[in-house]
Amino acid sequence: MRNRDLLFGIATLVVAAVYYGLAVAIPRSDLADPVGPQGLPRIYALLLAALSLILIARSLRRSAPDPDSPNPESRIPNPGSGIPRVVGMLLIGVAYIIVLPWFGYLLSVAALITGTIYFQGGSINGRSILVAVSGAAIFWLLFIWLLRIQYPAGLWPSVI
Amino acid sequence: MAVGDLIHLLFSTAIIPAAFGGVAWGILGGALPGISPSITMALLLPFTYGMDSTVAVVLLASTYVGAEYGGSIPAILIGTPGTNAAAATVIDGYEMKRQGKAGEALGISLYSGFVGGLFGFLVLVLLTERLSSVALAFTPSSYFALGMLGLSVIASLAGDSLLKGLIAGVIGLMIATIGTDPVTGLNRFTFGSPELLSGIPAILVMVGLFAVSEMLVQTTAPAWEKATHETARIRFPSPALWRRIARPQAIGSVIGAFEGMMPGAGGAISSFLAYNEARRWSRHSEEFGHGSPEGVAAPEAANNTVACTALVPMLSLGIPSSNSAAVLLGGFLMHELVPGPMLFVQHGEVVRGLYAGLLVANIAMLIIGYLIMGPCIWLVSRPKPYLMAFIYALVVSGVYAFQASLFNVGIALAFGVIGYALRYFAVPFLPMVLGVVLGFMIESNYRRALVLSNGDLLTFVRNPISAALLAAAFVVLAGQLMRQAKSRANAR
Repeated sequence: MRNRDLLFGIATLVVAAVYYGLAVAIPRSDLADPVGPQGLPRIYALLLAALSLILIARSLRRSAPDPDSPNPESRIPNPGSGIPRVVGMLLIGVAYIIVLPWFGYLLSVAALITGTIYFQGGSINGRSILVAVSGAAIFWLLFIWLLRIQYPAGLWPSVI
Repeated sequence: MAVGDLIHLLFSTAIIPAAFGGVAWGILGGALPGISPSITMALLLPFTYGMDSTVAVVLLASTYVGAEYGGSIPAILIGTPGTNAAAATVIDGYEMKRQGKAGEALGISLYSGFVGGLFGFLVLVLLTERLSSVALAFTPSSYFALGMLGLSVIASLAGDSLLKGLIAGVIGLMIATIGTDPVTGLNRFTFGSPELLSGIPAILVMVGLFAVSEMLVQTTAPAWEKATHETARIRFPSPALWRRIARPQAIGSVIGAFEGMMPGAGGAISSFLAYNEARRWSRHSEEFGHGSPEGVAAPEAANNTVACTALVPMLSLGIPSSNSAAVLLGGFLMHELVPGPMLFVQHGEVVRGLYAGLLVANIAMLIIGYLIMGPCIWLVSRPKPYLMAFIYALVVSGVYAFQASLFNVGIALAFGVIGYALRYFAVPFLPMVLGVVLGFMIESNYRRALVLSNGDLLTFVRNPISAALLAAAFVVLAGQLMRQAKSRANAR
């Protein structure tokens, strides 16, 4: 617990420092009010820095925890070996953003469903491929046919 | 509102289908363990963008109503609450199921939710407009103070870690400064990106923090137990049972009404309080914990009352008292509806439509709750990887549909990572959401108030409304600090 609070405090302190640097770089305007566009961002940065320092100090003052004990408050007590799957889930989302303009909606969503099934602990077999393809068809009907959302068509119109 | 006007309103708009659709969606979402009412609502949020404002808010509010009941289905059938608020229902609901009375428990849950929902609806209609009329005299300094009072809710929501809640709140305020400055029009923190000029929409923050991060957490969570069709034929209470559960329903409804309006209390606390009070006042208190029907009725009445009364501070003052109310507030803001007194003046038809929709939603819950049991059990019994894959596809498709922007999908994913990190560090979400939602109001009104007073900071205490709101914010914050200090002292 102490280690996580300490880590969180350091991370937010870094955020505060970066944000303050960006806030003071906001150009001044002749139209500005007494507070100005930098006013509150600077206050927020200083406030965050102060709160982060208190959290760091508080976590340092606590006795050292058992490194193997899970954090009772966290929904993720010990992510451990699950982290690659979490990263995999995120990479599927990023890949979806990249391939959607090229492959179009139907294929991209089918790929996203297949990848998610894998990273959520399922296996890739005929059934999961069938689920992904029929799922993509359902989403295509819902979003493109029914709701008329303009998704990128991909390269297919030029190929066909 | 006259009955004739109500009937005209219901049949001249899509309120009825929206209420039924929202309840059905909410029950299905609430029935999935881990998918809270706020996540169920957040998943729907992008779809409401192009809808008529009234229909959109009715759909979201009805989802909230449905999800509160939906959470009790897995609580009773598999001993895993679908929502936090249904945790108290597990105690006796699951015990009833083990005794072969699952249908009876589901019937009590549905009927009690209906009773609680109607009571909450009456409280909402009676209190909201009166409370909001106070705010007609609001000036920029009052709105700033109201924003600060809204932020002080963090104190109640942060639980044992006020400090981490405050940090999350400040980060939310920082996120709200991204985009065009409200007074000078200068760009701030946009890094030359045109997509960031109008800031980061609260909807993306909510979808990311609630839905995407939950999917990431579910990646490493164990699979949940499966339900069977044989266990789940709903049986409505007999007249004798109806009389027996009337008292716990009343207790749950009254507790839910108060707790729903209290910042940070929410359905979970009210359910446990209602359960405890129902046991204290029961003639069969020895049955509690061993499959008591009263032990199901009280928490279910309470959490469905909360689904309506949580809207009282949200509609009248723009202060969300729970995650779900914050998502609903996001829906209002997306349609440029600013909760508060002017909402009743400028968009009275939306408020009337919402009231009508909530009434329909509570009735719809009774009907759909009965009919949807089969699909619910089918859904809960699907392999978790397939369910998560469909939810992920729904998230990325829905977020894109919001503004036809892949950039938005990236933002939602980024907030998913932030949400996962917040869960890892045991930092509450709602303070950050509050900061994002209230940040613009706080900054713009703070600066307007200072322009109007020639930079005089005392303007915030000279105005009686502003002074009272700031004092209330201080009391909330100080009260929580004192409670924490006391509990730390007791722990020693």
